[in-house]
Amino acid sequence: MSAPRAILHVDMDAFYASVEMHDRPELRGLPVIVGGTSGRGVVAAASYEVRRYGVHSAMPVREALARCPHAVCVKPRMERYKEVSQSVFEVFHEFTPLVEGLSLDEAYLDVTGSRRLHGEPAVIAAAIKARIRERTGLTASVGAAHNKLLAKIASDLKKPDGLCTIAPDEVARVLDPLPIRRLHGIGPKTATRLEECGLHTLGQLRAAPDAVLWPLFGKHTQNVRDRAAGIDERPVEADWQEKQVSAEETFDVDLKRAADMHAELAKLADRVGVRLRAKELTASTVVVKIRRRDFATYTRSRSFAPATQDTGAVLKIARELLDGWLAEQPRAAVRLLGVGLASLAPAVQLDLFGQPAGDAPTPRSEATAAPAGLPPAAGRAGAKLDPTLDRIREKFGDASVTRASSLGRGGPKEDGFTGVRRRS
Amino acid sequence: MKLVCDREQILGPLQAVIGVVERRQTMPILANVLLVAKNGRLSITATDLEVELVAATDVNVQQGGEITVPGRKLLDIVKALPDKVGVTLALDGDRMTVRAGKSRFTLTTLPATDFPVVDEINAQLKVDLDQSALRRLLDKTHFSMAQQDVRYYLNGMLLETDGKMLRTVATDGHRLALCEMELDSRSGAQQVIVPRKGVLELQRLIGDEGAVAVQVGSNHIRVELGDIRFTSKLIDGRFPEYGRVIPATPPRTVTADRDALRRALQRAAILSNEKYRGVRLALKPNLLTITAHNPEQEEAEEEVEVTYAGDEMEVGFNVNYLLDALSAVDGAEVEVGLTDSNSSCLVRAPGGGNAKYVVMPMRL
Repeated sequence: MSAPRAILHVDMDAFYASVEMHDRPELRGLPVIVGGTSGRGVVAAASYEVRRYGVHSAMPVREALARCPHAVCVKPRMERYKEVSQSVFEVFHEFTPLVEGLSLDEAYLDVTGSRRLHGEPAVIAAAIKARIRERTGLTASVGAAHNKLLAKIASDLKKPDGLCTIAPDEVARVLDPLPIRRLHGIGPKTATRLEECGLHTLGQLRAAPDAVLWPLFGKHTQNVRDRAAGIDERPVEADWQEKQVSAEETFDVDLKRAADMHAELAKLADRVGVRLRAKELTASTVVVKIRRRDFATYTRSRSFAPATQDTGAVLKIARELLDGWLAEQPRAAVRLLGVGLASLAPAVQLDLFGQPAGDAPTPRSEATAAPAGLPPAAGRAGAKLDPTLDRIREKFGDASVTRASSLGRGGPKEDGFTGVRRRS
Repeated sequence: MKLVCDREQILGPLQAVIGVVERRQTMPILANVLLVAKNGRLSITATDLEVELVAATDVNVQQGGEITVPGRKLLDIVKALPDKVGVTLALDGDRMTVRAGKSRFTLTTLPATDFPVVDEINAQLKVDLDQSALRRLLDKTHFSMAQQDVRYYLNGMLLETDGKMLRTVATDGHRLALCEMELDSRSGAQQVIVPRKGVLELQRLIGDEGAVAVQVGSNHIRVELGDIRFTSKLIDGRFPEYGRVIPATPPRTVTADRDALRRALQRAAILSNEKYRGVRLALKPNLLTITAHNPEQEEAEEEVEVTYAGDEMEVGFNVNYLLDALSAVDGAEVEVGLTDSNSSCLVRAPGGGNAKYVVMPMRL
């Protein structure tokens, strides 16, 4: 087995609710629910004050209000949460490039290589917490361990504002008494069935015989047992190692005309292009996803070289893929379109001797644990248009500028959000 | 040991050798220079165990002898003395006194016998060259040497001869520079790697006039430049087969005014990503467009008139590599040979020349 890694799981405490309470001091100390205010939505986040009443996220707001009638309902402001999330992720990247974001408020960090510079994992965790608080005024809970599974369990142990380390020799002591529901992947149904078998803790699960587990988990039995024992070899997949960047749109009215589909496709290509460039990646595969009115779903993909960051190049291929599909199904009504970019790679300096810098071309030098640095992720997008659009959108919002090709035949919607309007 | 000379007589030699006296040396004696006074000559030796420099000068030796003294302190003292003043160096017990006019300094010493020197290098190859020719070989290639690369054999310059040509090659794995010259007299074939530090020191010492004698042994290279003798250890390693990464006949050829292209790239570089320095080159018949952008989404675009008859293509490069090559290549015009956006480009004087530059693209 490889040398022990140093993995952190950082989880912002009641993120949306905390952002609201930070921005609106009058909410502090009150039971705050972020979620649909009409009473028909679900709870997106609940402050710790309201959690005491048994309210949790994903619960219907109506039920939450039944449990805690004096709770304050706040409408979610996703733009604001994204903004705060960005500051938080910037902090992560100051400590390691290996950041795997799970959502706006949660990420795994592999700090194995950061220890020499920043100290032991617990020291790094404390520094990250301090820096997040300094920049955003919010608290985070951090778990540190030698794998993702344990780091995630650790971050949950001392919430909120916690910092918990699970050392390799503490795994059994910490894990064994935990209820089986703490293990990611064991849902309420499975948990109930396990409990019926008398298995309530991870320790019991770990020691359970095949005769009990096999009917429940089949060939995954050993995997479940491993996880109950805190064994997890999954790597932290840094966001730039993402497999695919994609965007899709379900339409209010099914599209029948090719021109309208092309217009929607252009918007989607634009969206994925922005995200690709923001991550300083290049793509060499375009995937188009098409769902018909009857929910039959098709994907068409094509790989090409060289890799690109250019929206125009992506759109051209996406169109050809869509047109190819339309040629097969000329009368189709389309309820969803998606554009994905795959075969992603960081923009990179190519090597003369056929190997990335740091690898030795002759067997003489085995010192490949190189300070080779990260692959250079950089450079410029294809057309000069793309970065300009990115910049405008960053400043004025996603809807501020639109490609003419995205407008469709019906012209722009006069909904007050589209920057381009027809003159009458 | 006692000797008398003018300030200028020892200032030059001290300045010539001081570059290898390391400020943070591992052995105390490496902060010292070795002074050897004998037969009317003073030789001053400095070493960092990799590169050794010896500079000799005529002085009035009243009593022969050898000793080591702190190098930088001695240089600083001599440098600060008034012009043309007479200087007396005398060993007095385990101290060395420096007298000049009304100034007197006493320096600590360490025994000369403890000072590491390279005596015989067992030369297997001897070549006599003009200083300007050797200078050219180094100047045209040195910038492509790697720095602190784990591929230690890239942290230096390949010096090789097949008996007919003398050639220098440097590469950091992303770009490569090669310069060659014909030898007047035939010699045996030889291939050695001179460490980076040695190359840079040698460049500092070589002038434009006079001759140099280059000797290559199995572990050292020695270059005699008049009163200065340079000796460097060699890197024990195998240099990559550089020949196979130089494109023989790139299918696309761009010819441009060297200075115009260089200036356009310099301007575009201002707005390239500071860390990765990527610029994109877009070619159309007779037109090259250079674009650069940075994380702040600032942008530069330059159009350069070129001679190009091929089809449209785009390729990305680290602008610094292109600029280095364009600064080093000879002639008012430059020829850039391209294959595709994933293959190396060849920069050279139109039609050839004896210097070649190969740059790998960036995937942008």
